[in-house]
Amino acid sequence: MKFSNFLEQTAAIVRKDFLVGTRRRASFAAMLMFSLTAVASLSLAAGGAVIEENLLAALLWVVIFFAASAGIAGTFEDEAAAGTLATLKLYAAPQAVLFGKMIFTLANLTALTIFLLPLFLILFDCAVAQIFLLLVTIFFGVVGIAGAGTLTAALTVSATVKGGLFPILLFPVTLPIFLPAIQLTAAAFTGADFEIDLLILMTIYDLILIVASSILYDYLD
Amino acid sequence: MKILFENVNLKFGRLELFKNLNVEITGGKVFGITGKNGAGKSTFLKLAGKIIKPDSGTVKIVDAETIAAVTPEMKIYDDLTALENLNFFAKLRNKKIDAEKIFNRVNLSIENLNIRAGNFSTGMKQRLKFAILLSVDADIWLLDEPTANLDSEGRNIFYNEILSATDKIILLATNDTKDLEVCNEILKLP
Repeated sequence: MKFSNFLEQTAAIVRKDFLVGTRRRASFAAMLMFSLTAVASLSLAAGGAVIEENLLAALLWVVIFFAASAGIAGTFEDEAAAGTLATLKLYAAPQAVLFGKMIFTLANLTALTIFLLPLFLILFDCAVAQIFLLLVTIFFGVVGIAGAGTLTAALTVSATVKGGLFPILLFPVTLPIFLPAIQLTAAAFTGADFEIDLLILMTIYDLILIVASSILYDYLD
Repeated sequence: MKILFENVNLKFGRLELFKNLNVEITGGKVFGITGKNGAGKSTFLKLAGKIIKPDSGTVKIVDAETIAAVTPEMKIYDDLTALENLNFFAKLRNKKIDAEKIFNRVNLSIENLNIRAGNFSTGMKQRLKFAILLSVDADIWLLDEPTANLDSEGRNIFYNEILSATDKIILLATNDTKDLEVCNEILKLP
């Protein structure tokens, strides 16, 4: 397949997912409601107490991870339940399906963090010393979750027992992203010096996840 | 253009569906597949379209590239309008389409173009699936019980279209005697 055809197919799938997503809204609403509930209940439980930046950073990533889990699992599952996945696989190239879904997931996660981050900072009364570092860290973090999450969603779609399987499979794959992401987020909150190696590590791991997803996706089915 | 089944074997658990199956399906003809429920009609189509692989043996597609299908398990997007469905699948196959012309071919009213497919009746959805099949202009058509849910007018449109598609490989899995009448060759699965 020509590269231009691949791009057109990918763009068509992203556009279709946006149309279906905005009309159905179930996946995004699940992510939004989870993050809202989690952040509100955690902040109420904290009751205005001062929380260490390291812990705050970890809390932020825990909320992002589980909110993402609530939404990404439906990437392929919703299509399979509606019976459209077989049609999509017949008409589109496998790589276009994977990357179309991955880009849509990334856009969803970006929208989620745009909603979640200010809410989190306000409710936990958290100052940000290095906003650019925070945004870059979150970007590379969600890219990794989108890359690994899309493949995991494709893997679990044909599993007979789905409940809980998605986060169980996703967590170990994304752990190498969370550890540096938490350290970098804490540094962004405090303004402390940070190791640039951690950002490079996240970028390389993101690339590995995307390439590995692309290679492994062809072996599914 | 042809599809060749060479010594194809396929089992589902203990059920041996195909044993040393050798079939040649040539273009320009309507190839019917019939047999009782569970005989493997739909599976035969999936093998022909390379949607599934045989346990052993080979399925070769010669001088044909693209596949389109109308089957009960391949659904359209209920949340998209008919036009969006048509455009989406045509875009996936890099085809530019005249949606109104295609809707006319399957005798669906143009007013329905901007209605969500989820609001269509089963028969209208079947016509829309057929419209998508026509719009992507694939080399191979996999048709599984395609006239189910179609009224007599819909059936006639369908028969006329497949009889005039002489540059395609058409596989038609059915138990409907009227469907079988339009087939040039029939494979009866035991």
